Amino acid sequence: MKLTGFLTTAAVSVFLAGGAAAEVRFGALYPFSGQLALLGEESARGAELAVDEINAAGGVQGEEVVLVRGDAVDNNQAIGEARRLISREGVKAILGTYSSSRSIAASQVAELSGIPYFELGAVADEVTGRGLKYLFRTNPTAEHMGQMIVEMIVEKVAPALGKDPSELRIGIIHEDSSYGTSVAGHQERFGKEAGLNIVTVQGYPASTVDMSSLVLDLKSQEVDVVLQTSYQNDSVLFLQQASEAGFEPGAIIGGGGGYSMLPTAEAVGTDVIDGVLDVDFTQYAVDTSYTPGLEEFVAAYEAKYGESPRSGHSLNNYVGAMAVLSAIDKGEGFEPEGIIEAVKAIDIPEGKTAAGYGVKFGENNQNERAKMMGMQWQDGKLVTVYPAEAAVGEMKLGQ
Amino acid sequence: MTDIATTLTSTPKRLAGRRAATFGLLAVLAGILLVPIGLNDEFVYHIFITICIFAALSTAWNIVGGYAGQLSLGHAVFYGIGGYAGVMLANLGISPWFGMFAGAGVAVIVAIIVSYPCFRLHGPFFALATIAFLEVFRVLALHFKEFTGGATGMMISLNIGWEWMVFRERLPALVIAFGMMLVCLAAAWVIRNRRLGFYLVATRERESAAKAAGVNTVKVRLMAVSVSAALSAMLGTFHAMYLTFIEPEAMFSLEFSIQIAMFALIGGIGTIWGPLLGAVLLVPITEFARGALGAEAIGLHGFVYGIVLMLVVLFMPNGIMGLLSRLRPAESARKETEAAPVAAEPRASGRTDAGEAVMRVEGLNKHFGGLHVTNDVGFTLREGEILGLIGPNGAGKTTLFNMLSGFLKPDEGSVSVRDAVGDWQHPASPGEFAALGVGRTFQIVQPFAAMTVEENIMVGAFHRHAQVGDAREAARETARRMGLGPYLDLEASSLTIGGLKRLEVARVMAMEPRILLLDEVMAGINQTDVRRAVDLMLSIRDTGVSIIAIEHVMQAVMSLSDRVIVLNSGQIIAEGEPRSVVSDPMVIEAYLGKEFANA
Amino acid sequence: MEIFLQILANGVMLGGLFAIVAIGLTLIFGIVKVINFAHGEFLMVGMYLTFLLTTGLDLHPYIAAAAVVPALFVLGALTQRFLIQPLLSARDEHVQIFATVGLSTALMNLALLIFGADIANTPVHGVRSQVQLGPVRVLEGQIWILVAAVALVIGLQFFMKRTTLGRAIRATAQNRAAAQLMGINDRLIYVLTFGIGAACVGLGSALIAPLYPASPTVGTYFVLIAFVVVVLGGLGSVAGAFFGAILIGIVDAMSGFYIGSDLREAVVFGIFLVILILKPSGLFSTRLNQSHVSP
Repeated sequence: MKLTGFLTTAAVSVFLAGGAAAEVRFGALYPFSGQLALLGEESARGAELAVDEINAAGGVQGEEVVLVRGDAVDNNQAIGEARRLISREGVKAILGTYSSSRSIAASQVAELSGIPYFELGAVADEVTGRGLKYLFRTNPTAEHMGQMIVEMIVEKVAPALGKDPSELRIGIIHEDSSYGTSVAGHQERFGKEAGLNIVTVQGYPASTVDMSSLVLDLKSQEVDVVLQTSYQNDSVLFLQQASEAGFEPGAIIGGGGGYSMLPTAEAVGTDVIDGVLDVDFTQYAVDTSYTPGLEEFVAAYEAKYGESPRSGHSLNNYVGAMAVLSAIDKGEGFEPEGIIEAVKAIDIPEGKTAAGYGVKFGENNQNERAKMMGMQWQDGKLVTVYPAEAAVGEMKLGQ
Repeated sequence: MTDIATTLTSTPKRLAGRRAATFGLLAVLAGILLVPIGLNDEFVYHIFITICIFAALSTAWNIVGGYAGQLSLGHAVFYGIGGYAGVMLANLGISPWFGMFAGAGVAVIVAIIVSYPCFRLHGPFFALATIAFLEVFRVLALHFKEFTGGATGMMISLNIGWEWMVFRERLPALVIAFGMMLVCLAAAWVIRNRRLGFYLVATRERESAAKAAGVNTVKVRLMAVSVSAALSAMLGTFHAMYLTFIEPEAMFSLEFSIQIAMFALIGGIGTIWGPLLGAVLLVPITEFARGALGAEAIGLHGFVYGIVLMLVVLFMPNGIMGLLSRLRPAESARKETEAAPVAAEPRASGRTDAGEAVMRVEGLNKHFGGLHVTNDVGFTLREGEILGLIGPNGAGKTTLFNMLSGFLKPDEGSVSVRDAVGDWQHPASPGEFAALGVGRTFQIVQPFAAMTVEENIMVGAFHRHAQVGDAREAARETARRMGLGPYLDLEASSLTIGGLKRLEVARVMAMEPRILLLDEVMAGINQTDVRRAVDLMLSIRDTGVSIIAIEHVMQAVMSLSDRVIVLNSGQIIAEGEPRSVVSDPMVIEAYLGKEFANA
Repeated sequence: MEIFLQILANGVMLGGLFAIVAIGLTLIFGIVKVINFAHGEFLMVGMYLTFLLTTGLDLHPYIAAAAVVPALFVLGALTQRFLIQPLLSARDEHVQIFATVGLSTALMNLALLIFGADIANTPVHGVRSQVQLGPVRVLEGQIWILVAAVALVIGLQFFMKRTTLGRAIRATAQNRAAAQLMGINDRLIYVLTFGIGAACVGLGSALIAPLYPASPTVGTYFVLIAFVVVVLGGLGSVAGAFFGAILIGIVDAMSGFYIGSDLREAVVFGIFLVILILKPSGLFSTRLNQSHVSP
């Protein structure tokens, strides 16, 4: 059979290509094609920059780190690529994945194969909520996002609007995929715990072409604070249609996604976006004394890719990869148990990474020091306004 | 249809070709199992498991999309139901081996509910309806979070072992996937080679002709859809266990549904082994292409994929199986002398006294809008008689036939048929008419183009013979009698118009009807054929079959008919002996105009 | 009450949007009898063309239509001539559907390759400004879309009934064989019809571009709704497509408010299924066109 011959040849050639001396391989599993490609690629760049930096400083345990890419375009593919990285490429650990569902699927494979899996960017709870032994997550999650948004409402937004938090009428809207649904769920939960008055929670498909009914619904329910978790298209639609319907809530708080991206601001115009709040991974307009290494990261990014970082995903993947790789460097050997032991010893305090948050794995191997940041669009720029130690601007509301 | 393993003739050359094909097929199947075992590489295992899953899903799809010709682009509904059933039950502590069947059961119910109303819709409309159902299912799965976990999906706990279908090593998963693929292939093979398969293809090719041949087109399609849905659901269960994680976006995906259909398309829609070949070829290519192109630039891989798809469709619309069939030795007409039509043996039993009424038509009225197409038409057909039905174009003859065979419901009036035991029945649908032994031909011939002459006639023969062997024997017998013997293995579409007319009659004859409705079987054929057809009809009549024949060829009508009915503007204007009817001035006027009648 | 009127207005405006996308599709679907899955990508191509023309040459998007419409006509005509026409004789009608799926995939990924996954914003040039109509507010651009859709319906009706080409198209749609016998070049008719259908969505794309950001996947949502509208309106009926679109727009907007925004898709597709099953000839079809339904 020709096909068999072809496969055998391909397999043999790959086996021969692998295994050069003094290098250690890690997998980089991200969606590089398909719908999620843009931010998958952006995330992978962060991991690549971390590897470059580690290699420039002598590698890990004296060995050069080689990052092998795997394309997790869908769940079945994520599994296949995880298998390929593990069995064919012989990676010692996998970094990834940006998308939560791909992460969940691929990490099950790694778990069964006993290979450590480091999640640097996916936000869904289920990633770490499964009690896996070999899965670690460095980035803040949907839970952190919900928590921080509620915290920000109670501590900052309500006073700025001159109301008691419980008097505010909160409307939660979200795109109906995993991302929007899980963030909205946490917003609702933390909001109730904080005694907020949540008047409505509504999902909608991200590909929608009309949100005017939703806007009217929020308007008729006299919502003061809108929490939207959304991608780009639906962020633009909501902001435009809200302003056109004359709906001007006291505050709009986005949950990352479209709210953190410059094209959104360009699409809706400065007058509409200004004042809109956003909670997301650490972005770039931040107090750099709280995020040491951020400027160097941006410089390295620009030198390597010839453009500015397109979102905070690269930064967060960079921070996670740096923490993990540095720890492995200090550990012994690349056996799974050795790697796990090394990363469990990580203890980086807050304010010592380029993203600000510290790293220490706690329950379920989730980084218990991971944190989001609160930002606000001011004069067409996304400026960090919360927490105070990272803020470079004041939150301006109610003018 | 070109099926490697279902060639019928046995010349040495063909036999060799068939042997090569069987060998190739076994080699492919063995390769799927042995390559990953031989290479013993996790990734290779994954690719081959993926091949098995897609080949199996595509084969299951093909039973509906290929055999039945109903283009479903929502097949992920069934796959998703299986996946969700498996995971939900597994989380309740029930093994997916049971969950699989639960999912299949639900999928069958959904399939029947969903498909039944949609079978009235053809081609693109059926496709759109299935897409709409898929979207509705996806939205509902997102909405009912309590059951489905909503957008965040559901996970299975990692219980290892055969009973949970979750394994640390890859071989067992491959074995299960391979086994399920074999089950699907076997199901497809069995269906294609049984009566059901013939009925499905016949229904796909010409629904009305299939109905006339006594096929319950709705029932056979529902059976196809049920089998297909059950298999898809079982695969969904396995795939969910293999993925260990499901979400509405992935389980009820339009893209996934299209992909399933795509493998069948590229392999060869409607063939047994096409979907398998499509998956075997495409899955590895896609994997390697993704690796090679995906990293280059975002979108490049998808762009190339789209272009390749268009090229495949343009240059090999019949898929890989189409290409392979061209490699086979050309099908030659059998070297068998064309026998002149001979009389069938008279039927020995079940014959009632000659001249007794077998069909009673009373007061038939039919309106199309303002047009009164048949006006109070009534007559009686007697056993063993040939009733000629003549009249100018537009007189309503074919409409009348449609009412006599259940294809049209009269506005008023009734058609009664006496059954074999002598009771009067009032059939309403084509199926009921066929069951009572009423067979009909169509004025515009309706061959099942993609079937051979033999298979065409077999569709009729299945009416009396449920087994393929018996039906084939009966079909060959009928073909020989109709002078179609030499053409048995030709595709029906390659026959001349005279041949097609004979095929039309042969298919009905194979049903062994008691009442035969012939709609212009002599139009457009040459003199010799007309004479042969007349002889044939007389010989059929002599076996005790009653015939109503619409004819324009006057010579034939005169020499054939025991009695003639003349229809004009929907009314019977004359009835009686052929001689007396043609001299009736009203008849001449109807045919030629007033002047002639008065001349 | 005011809210109800506003939702109604929003629904009508949304309907106008669906109409201008669906009118071209109903021509192609009804006359060439092909499900064009790439129709949404035609819209996407048109929106990117408008984006390039407005940003590159600083044109008003409506003026850019003068270039976008002919460009889309050519794209449509080429699609018919080189992709669909060779398949008309194919034994299996399914292959045409897959051909358009391939085209759709290729175009979508080509856009991804050229423009990236980010949204592209066409300059607004004032068409986003608000207009107060009694108790309700709508956008200027939405009104123009509605006006253009009405004009397109009237124009196409006139074209189909009064011009030789239009009559030839109708004849071909009703009975291809008979039209052939009458000396009509049916292949040319199909190429022209496909071109005209694509040109209609070209006009739509130039009007929509300033209101909605373009992205490689912008067509996917529109195309499913457009199919709903076409079936609802009756195969090949331009006026039917328009009224179907308005109806779906209103249903969509109403269900978004009164039922819940996560279920509006289910409501729209549910209605679609009910109509497909109960009255497959469409709500607004006047002529008996049931070729796709078994007796």
